[in-house]
Amino acid sequence: MALEDISVVTASGSDQLTGNATAVLHEVAEMLVALAERGESGIIDLGGMPLSGADKDWLTARLGRGEIEMSLDLDGTSEVRETAFHGVWWLVHRNGKGVLTGEFIEVNRVPGLVPAHPEDIREAAEKLGFLINDL
Amino acid sequence: MRHEDGILMAGLAQHGVSRRSFMKFCATLASVMALPPAAGLAMAEAMASARRPSVIWLPFQECTGCTESITRSHSPTIESLIFNVISLDYQETLMAAAGHQAEEALQQAIKDNFGKYLLIVDGSIPLGMDGAYSTIGGRSNLEILKEVAKGAAAIVAMGSCAAYGGIPKANPNPTGAVSVADVIKDKPIVNVPGCPPIPVVMTGVLAHYLTFGSLPELDKLGRPKAFYGETIHDRCYRRSFYDQGKFAKTFDDEGARNGWCLFELGCKGPVTYNACATTKWNGGTSWPVESGHGCLGCSEPDFWDAGSFYKALSMPATPLKTVGVAAAAGAAVGVAISFANRAKKSAAKAAHETTTLPDLEK
Amino acid sequence: MNELQFLTWVRGPGLNLAISIFLLGVFVRLFEIYSLGRKKDLSEPRNVGGASGINTVFRRSLPAEGMLKKSPISYIGGYIFHIGLAIIVFLFVPHIKFFQGLLGISWPGLPSQLVEFVTIVTIVTMLVILLDRITNPVKRYLSTFQDWFTWALTFLPVLTGWLAVRHLLLPYTTMLAVHILMVELLLVFLPFTKLFHAFTVFGSRWFNGTVNGHKGVAV
Repeated sequence: MALEDISVVTASGSDQLTGNATAVLHEVAEMLVALAERGESGIIDLGGMPLSGADKDWLTARLGRGEIEMSLDLDGTSEVRETAFHGVWWLVHRNGKGVLTGEFIEVNRVPGLVPAHPEDIREAAEKLGFLINDL
Repeated sequence: MRHEDGILMAGLAQHGVSRRSFMKFCATLASVMALPPAAGLAMAEAMASARRPSVIWLPFQECTGCTESITRSHSPTIESLIFNVISLDYQETLMAAAGHQAEEALQQAIKDNFGKYLLIVDGSIPLGMDGAYSTIGGRSNLEILKEVAKGAAAIVAMGSCAAYGGIPKANPNPTGAVSVADVIKDKPIVNVPGCPPIPVVMTGVLAHYLTFGSLPELDKLGRPKAFYGETIHDRCYRRSFYDQGKFAKTFDDEGARNGWCLFELGCKGPVTYNACATTKWNGGTSWPVESGHGCLGCSEPDFWDAGSFYKALSMPATPLKTVGVAAAAGAAVGVAISFANRAKKSAAKAAHETTTLPDLEK
Repeated sequence: MNELQFLTWVRGPGLNLAISIFLLGVFVRLFEIYSLGRKKDLSEPRNVGGASGINTVFRRSLPAEGMLKKSPISYIGGYIFHIGLAIIVFLFVPHIKFFQGLLGISWPGLPSQLVEFVTIVTIVTMLVILLDRITNPVKRYLSTFQDWFTWALTFLPVLTGWLAVRHLLLPYTTMLAVHILMVELLLVFLPFTKLFHAFTVFGSRWFNGTVNGHKGVAV
């Protein structure tokens, strides 16, 4: 019998709004103002507070979808989705087995994970140099 | 060789782990440890640029299960890679050197980083027979521990054996096994119990130390609160069945198939502090209760002596040895008393004694 | 001694000691009391309907005429908490496992939430009974140390058991160990206090009924 065949029905409150979603939205708004006025970025760890399924749905609905959707292949897939609000990004991290390991909302021009690191660029320049030399 | 990156970043890159993967790992690690997201960034920076990460790993009276759990040399993860790279100074199971070369490496590592290295110990320390039960190169574990601990900034007692004595300490403790904290009294010690511990706990402690230069907040048994702050029971997804009184009675019965609570099958979840219910094992695949077996309580001291793994917490932990004798003794004493009473009664009757008020109030 | 070692002790050697003393005490007292026997009544037994040992056993389950009005708390409260105790002790699944561990037999239990409801009712009732004993001047006057002590011996297991299940007051491992310890204290003192009525109540009623029934009086 596979794990999925065992029906485990637990009574949980995942259909209720807890009020935490509103709090998160307030925090996002504050961070967005800080980004707009002072260029300060911020991250909210969605795993760090109790959010029910309904809370997450409510947040996703309010934040909406933007123009960019990125899929990152980093020891498991990570997804970066721009929300309808410029500067507000939703990040979902999964490990190699597809298990959710982290979920964040990042308020930034672009999530810190995305831009190439100067050290990596330097190394890549070197590598490309060697490649061209060998042609 | 890059200038700003330290050994860890280079080591990870060699194994095909990108900077971004490492940043993702640090972000989720900070989240698991209930640290703010900024800590995740700090961790990534600190660990990436760690120049001479100095960790000395001493294996004592152990089964190597803890090392296996962390390093999982058959399928490396970022955790195992971190340990591979960071523990290059001295790690008996993994390092290439052996014999006198290994001894020299240890002495060199101690000398180079005196007062600054992190000492990780797994396995208990046997005191019996002057420590002869477990020796390395002719020296007892006890002697080695005392020597290496002198220059350690902090000690991580990894696994239940190092943290509390573990299985060697279980009744009757033939080797006189004790924990690290029983031997070393003057250094900060973090206990990371579990048989074995969940890998990410070890990584979390190391990451915290490398980033902030301090140990995470500990409970009164010396365990990081971030991972050992709650009981299995309080996070168990089968908890609603416990509350309703729906229990599996045997393995593979109807209740078990329906995923009911495993209390009757001996689950020690209510008295065990660990992160298994939330963090799970094998990269989040599953954990004992989810697989249908009760929690053993392996992160608690003396869990081997806490009664059978298959007897519920409300059942007697050890057989009741003297109750039969006590009942028989009670009957015997009762019979003796009754003879005495009857004798008294006959004597009173013969002497024509009357019953007085004081007699009734006795 | 850390909390798990404490729990293991109360589940192991402590339990052994408590049950041993309990059984020893019960047997001593049972033999002691019942071996005294009865004085032979040589008169002709009167056969009056309703006057016998077994009749008295059942009749005394109800308050005597007028007594319910005089002391309703004693009777109503008494029944509620005795029935409550029986339900909690014998129909709560973890307790059934305990008996299974001791005797090898088990029986079906009640849903745990129902048992919890019964527990709350029992706790409140026992507190009301205590309050009555304190405020009623006659009862207060008649109360000795043993009365208060045996009330506590009976109340604390129920209270600590509920606190343990609800994870209140102390960390669970310690709370559970304290609960088991309270039960062990109850066991140790039961045979040597008025709590021994658990074993003698029906015998006493029967004795009174038989002796007086022989004389033709229904008591």
